[in-house]
Amino acid sequence: MLKIRNVHKRYHENEILKGVDVTVDKGDVVTILGPSGSGKTTLLRCMNFLERADEGSMDFDEYHVKLHDASSHDVGKIRKKTAFVFQNYNLFQNKTALENVMVGLVIGRGMDKSKAQEIGMKALDKVGLADRYRYYPAQLSGGQQQRVGIARAIAVEPDVILFDEPTSALDPELVGEVLNVIKQLAKEGKTMVIVTHEMKFAADVATHVIFMADGKIVEEGDPKTIFLCPKEERTKTFLRRILPGVEYNI
Amino acid sequence: MDLDYKFLVQTFYLVLGAIPTTLKLTFVSLLAATPFAFAIAMVRRQSGRRILSQIVKAYVTFMRGTPIVLQILMIYSVLPSVLNAVALAWNLPINVFDWDPVLYAYIVFTLNTIALLSEVFRSALGSVVQGQMEAALCAGLTRVQAYIHIILPQALVSAMPNLCNLTINLLKGTSLAFLMTVKDMTAVAKVAASYGYNYIEAYMDVLVGYVIVCSIVQVLFHFAERHVGRYRLVRQK
Ligand SMILES: Nc1ncnc2c1ncn2[C@@H]1O[C@H](COP(=O)(O)OP(=O)(O)OP(=O)(O)O)[C@@H](O)[C@H]1O
Ligand SMILES: [Mg+2]
Repeated sequence: MLKIRNVHKRYHENEILKGVDVTVDKGDVVTILGPSGSGKTTLLRCMNFLERADEGSMDFDEYHVKLHDASSHDVGKIRKKTAFVFQNYNLFQNKTALENVMVGLVIGRGMDKSKAQEIGMKALDKVGLADRYRYYPAQLSGGQQQRVGIARAIAVEPDVILFDEPTSALDPELVGEVLNVIKQLAKEGKTMVIVTHEMKFAADVATHVIFMADGKIVEEGDPKTIFLCPKEERTKTFLRRILPGVEYNI
Repeated sequence: MDLDYKFLVQTFYLVLGAIPTTLKLTFVSLLAATPFAFAIAMVRRQSGRRILSQIVKAYVTFMRGTPIVLQILMIYSVLPSVLNAVALAWNLPINVFDWDPVLYAYIVFTLNTIALLSEVFRSALGSVVQGQMEAALCAGLTRVQAYIHIILPQALVSAMPNLCNLTINLLKGTSLAFLMTVKDMTAVAKVAASYGYNYIEAYMDVLVGYVIVCSIVQVLFHFAERHVGRYRLVRQK
């Protein structure tokens, strides 16, 4: 369904992505792991053109584009097939929870208001915010804000939802409520690409795990293989540091 | 000190009668300046357009760095002659010197306000977190839609206090319009005073007049700010 090939991204002299390939099929939950600065966020942002890659191609259903020179028309169409959940939520501060969810439908897609409202309420109900429709972001906790962010993403029924560390800005006691929502989406068969530092969660939800370091994919495979018997030394070191006390078949 | 109370009251009514002129000068200039100021703010926020950006920056610096009295004197003495020369050169059937001087007042205050207002807009636009633009694009909005529905409404809220200051300063600044023989609040009082040398009474009237108008403007801004900034109010329970 979604294939990106040979993604390169440079900032000034630094090459941040050095030829990355990712394939996402319908129903996949791809989790991307890796040390800080390895280029995970950059990769995700290149996938919906928030960042322009310097090289690479994308096949997304009927769209076949070069990442560096896709027309703004194609970019607009491709963005509407995706949704993005940000690390720091990025909710529209001047809109209520419900309006946040409706914006993409009403303004982005020209849906009529009452239909959008119905969909928006359903999306908020799903993330457990049935009693917070009329709250502004400033009146919500971090966990609630991120759940609005997720509701905003699912409401537009995208082909794939991209998550960039959805819980890393949250207080520890709020992480669970957000992860549970994402797990629920995984159960329903939603297609997702998730950058996360929550290893247990990654192992639970993933159908496919990618381990990145220094702008390259070091190792990828199903979660059992990556977490329990990784082949590459870099993966082992990373997992050992982040999951001390877990025994591997190494 | 003996005050001529009858004159005081009469002149006060004169001053009140000139309030519309002052308000018109203020708000017409403000409205006329808004689109230009916004354009300048947008140009200066973009990273490209180096040359254009430098030009508008020079304009802003110049306008902010010169006293408005000088701008008035310059424009009022230079602009009519220039326009007249243009009219003569192109054989236009107009006589620039017949124009109402209030026109030049509008021009000066608008040019001046463009510069100040563009700075207000620039800092207000910068205050809206960049992430919301990205979130809007991801939600399928175009950049223009994102500006209209997400960025500008919030920029307006954070611009409110500065906008209020600017309006009040402009309102007080329009008192210099008497230099161009415009009959605003200050001018009518001065003229009335000149017959019997009752300057003290006249100035007291003008002072009170400005206090009243400025207070009203401030109160209006206060309510406007509360209204457009509803979403920033503290947590509701
Ligand atoms: N706009 C930018 N300009 C210059 N360098 C950048 C920019 N954005 C990212 N980088 C650099 O690219 C590298 C990769 O950043 P990226 O955010 O993709 O890492 P990450 O894997 O998401 O890390 P983290 O786990 O900390 O979020 C970093 O070294 C960062 O400094
Ligand atoms: Mg990151």
